Amino acid sequence: MSYLLTTLTKKKEIDTIIRDTIDKVLVLRFGRAMDALCLQLDDILAKSSRDVSKFADVALVDIDSEDVQVYVKYFDITLIPSTVFFFNAHHMKMDSGTADHTKWVGAFHRKQDFIDVVEAIYRGAMKGKLIVNCPLPPERIPKYQLLYKDV
Amino acid sequence: MIKRCILPRLYGVKYETLFFRMFLKILPGKIKSSVKPNPNPNNELTPPINQKSMKKKNKKQKSEFDFCKVCNRNHDEGQRHKYFPSHTNSLSKFFSRFQNKLTEVRFFLKNPSFLRLELASRNRLWCIFCDCDIDELGSSFACQNAINHLASGDHLKNLKHFLWKYGGGMDRVDAFRISQADIAKWETKCKSLKSEAAPCGGTSQGFPSGLSNDIHKELDYENLNNYEKNTLHHLNSNISNVVMPLQQHTNEYQVSRLEHSGVANVGSNMHVITSTLSVDPCDGTSLWNANNLMESDSYSSLMVSVVFLYLLAYGNGAVNDSNCSGDVSHNKKGKCKMTCLSHCFILMIVFWNLYMDNTLSLGSVIPICVAIVATAGLQNITQISSFLLREAGGNVHSGAPPPWFEETQGDQLNVQLNQVSTLNKSGKLKLNPKRVGAAWAEKRKMEMEMEKRGGIVKSDCDPNWLPNFGRVWQSGSRKESRKEFEFEKQKQPNVHSLSEMPMEIKPYVSKRMVAQYLVPEI
Repeated sequence: MSYLLTTLTKKKEIDTIIRDTIDKVLVLRFGRAMDALCLQLDDILAKSSRDVSKFADVALVDIDSEDVQVYVKYFDITLIPSTVFFFNAHHMKMDSGTADHTKWVGAFHRKQDFIDVVEAIYRGAMKGKLIVNCPLPPERIPKYQLLYKDV
Repeated sequence: MIKRCILPRLYGVKYETLFFRMFLKILPGKIKSSVKPNPNPNNELTPPINQKSMKKKNKKQKSEFDFCKVCNRNHDEGQRHKYFPSHTNSLSKFFSRFQNKLTEVRFFLKNPSFLRLELASRNRLWCIFCDCDIDELGSSFACQNAINHLASGDHLKNLKHFLWKYGGGMDRVDAFRISQADIAKWETKCKSLKSEAAPCGGTSQGFPSGLSNDIHKELDYENLNNYEKNTLHHLNSNISNVVMPLQQHTNEYQVSRLEHSGVANVGSNMHVITSTLSVDPCDGTSLWNANNLMESDSYSSLMVSVVFLYLLAYGNGAVNDSNCSGDVSHNKKGKCKMTCLSHCFILMIVFWNLYMDNTLSLGSVIPICVAIVATAGLQNITQISSFLLREAGGNVHSGAPPPWFEETQGDQLNVQLNQVSTLNKSGKLKLNPKRVGAAWAEKRKMEMEMEKRGGIVKSDCDPNWLPNFGRVWQSGSRKESRKEFEFEKQKQPNVHSLSEMPMEIKPYVSKRMVAQYLVPEI
């Protein structure tokens, strides 16, 4: 768990942060503080949060709280850590060559990767696109298997 | 008839088309004659020159130029013109316009009412069939002349001729005239009206002659009484698109008479008020404006003027009373407010009472209100300007420097820098309006500003709010995905209840085993 980033445990908090972040990308990480991969991701997020602070806000969401389960279901979060991007309360999708475009699953290899991803999202959002292409080469994108309806 | 040659497709399409084109070139006249509906099939072998002359002859059969009243243009199409679509369109429009005017006439045919002489000059009808103007001068009933005209034989004759010439359809004759039966009914109704009105009149003179000859006071009085009856009757019977005769006189002469008679009681109060309000030389103009406004006497305008008066009184404060002009002390200001307000209240109450007692007509209340308002408004302006003049040390006319030049140069530079920075900021602030969620952002910004300023704690988003999210396996729009989610949410409790039921675990029994069990029994 990062002490630099705000951790949200309630739906209301998530709602307010989504609604109040205007003209900035909102990065919501869904995960557990004790998970190893989540910790890795949190580390990168914390270090780069200041660099992207002009066009992005970062927040962490603890998926273990009951209040947040609604969002876990709504966003179809099955693997952690999952990062969801918002812009002006609209969800931004990113096509990174994986099965799931609605979120980023896994951690980032480098700080720069994260910054590139957020920048791509911001540029697309400012142009009015709801889905953007991932600027990272495929080797740096974490791979995973997505289950379809628990199959 | 020249038939099209069906060439074998040996050389492809191009050859065929080329050949066909050449074919066309060689015999243009014959091909053309086969394509067009040939009025003279026997002429197919004649040389083209004759055909051209035939066409010329057809064209030569022009008719003289004629003017079409409906299309409002000259044409040389003769009898054919009335069948052209443009003409039929114009005709339908023409007829509909006339019908609109006729509906009013028909209304008065069914419900005859007396015609006031002042309004008579306004009622004119142009009969499109007879090309004549029908006015209502000298008619005692509304649209009397028009009704008589529409029922006359001349009009019918003209109407038939018009329909024959311009092709409206002869079945439409009855739509544009009044039958003998209708006019007979109308006449009986008029007679009954006259007989009703006669005993209430008071004068020995008969109504028709009275109405036509004099426009003096007796007539007005009678009309007033009759109008009260008739208008009530009409109010009960008819509803919409009726021009109701005015309840009150709007003639300036009449209104001024009423004013003099009814306003005398208010005179004393008026004097009090005018003394408190300083008299402006523009009073004359304000009253003139008021007279113009008399035309619109309605309840709403009275209320508006009353409200305006009230607001003005409340807002005037220190500037209405001559005692507190230029004086800054609060006590006097308060007093002035109170006195002015109280005066206006008294005035309003007085007017209202008088109006309710019917001694004061609407027409006179409004000009008085407006006059007060106008004078008060004018006063406001003068007072403020004088106040400012006294305060300012100098102005443009006295040649004093403007206040911003009094600062040092450093301040000037700062000002410039600020201007530059604001310009930059404003440039950046022009975010792309097409960006994602632009509308939401604008809306939210407004909300947040409101919250900051007004301290209005707007109700936080309801607990069921969800952001715009496109689900992983969605196929339709994002709204659909949300609907799906809501649906699933509703389903959940059912799912939970089902899962709570204890599941019986049974060993798997295959068909073979069943068969094995069954066989020995058999």
